[in-house]
Amino acid sequence: MNASLLLAWNAVLTHPLFLVGLTLGVYQLGLALYERTRMALLHPLIVSIVLLISALWLLGLEYEVYRDAVFPLTMLLAPATVALAVPLYHNLRRIRQFFWPVMITLLVAGVFVTAVTLLLAWLLGADFAMLMTLAPKSLTTPIAMMVAEQMGGVAAMAAAFVMYTAVLGALMGPWLLNVSGVTLPAARGMSLGLAAHAVGTSRALEENDEAGAFAALAMSLMGIGTALLLPLCVTLWLLL
Amino acid sequence: MLLRGLTWLILFQLIGTALNVLFLPFLPSAIIGMLLLVVFLRLRGRVSASLETASNGLLRFLPLLLTPPAAGVMMYGNEVAADAAAILVSLTLSFILVVPLAGHLMQYLVARQARKEKA
Repeated sequence: MNASLLLAWNAVLTHPLFLVGLTLGVYQLGLALYERTRMALLHPLIVSIVLLISALWLLGLEYEVYRDAVFPLTMLLAPATVALAVPLYHNLRRIRQFFWPVMITLLVAGVFVTAVTLLLAWLLGADFAMLMTLAPKSLTTPIAMMVAEQMGGVAAMAAAFVMYTAVLGALMGPWLLNVSGVTLPAARGMSLGLAAHAVGTSRALEENDEAGAFAALAMSLMGIGTALLLPLCVTLWLLL
Repeated sequence: MLLRGLTWLILFQLIGTALNVLFLPFLPSAIIGMLLLVVFLRLRGRVSASLETASNGLLRFLPLLLTPPAAGVMMYGNEVAADAAAILVSLTLSFILVVPLAGHLMQYLVARQARKEKA
């Protein structure tokens, strides 16, 4: 490669829009693949993550550099979360009609997932700090990081576990529901939002508005409930 | 249209931020904003066309917006290695178990309620 070509290559790589463009590019590639195949393994989110991590690794870029460069995109995540209010509002009647099923499912499944995670990790030798980092893995990232931090876990690693859960959600969530025969949109939404937060909600919205609304509800209530109850339970446990 | 709806969404996000700092440090500002917007829409009784446009537009791209934070999973390869078995097994297995459990429980409870209402 001669000098001027190298110069041009570097200019492209260091342009502020390069990483935003890369993200948009791999996402659309993922979208095209997914629309052709409809395989959960090729969900745009999964394809994008794999391609992005490979690209960053090939280019020798740190994740922090990438994260700062794509801030214009991630900045929209907050208004998008607020926007979930619209499907929630449209399904408010249904949600109120199913008030008790929602609350009971939330309590039982929420306690179950947290307890199973802690029990398995404890059996496999994780220490207390690691347990507290694993516990909020079903929550949406900001809540998970706060809860982990409060209880002596590592906030940044908790975020990574949340994202691992997100990958599982995109990969297997709807498939697990199909295999186990859950067909009711409200139940599919509840399950996806409760188990896989925003990514589960996003998958539920792909199915229909009602599933999306219940997922948004489950994600919020699971986050609020865990943020309130988990620190309380851990404090009581430590006192006993 | 899109712009006006987006302005509303950002306004509620910002109100959420203020409330988060003032009273609710344990809830993220976007979740507070979302709950407030539901209350607001309930009081108003309808969703304006601009808000509908903006929210549909943003929610269609939700997976794209989630991609950059999800790629952050790459950062913790080394820290995770020590406890890899405990971490991967507990996260994966609990997920596989809870999805059908939550789905079936909800489906069962909804069906039971429907039967009761009929009876």
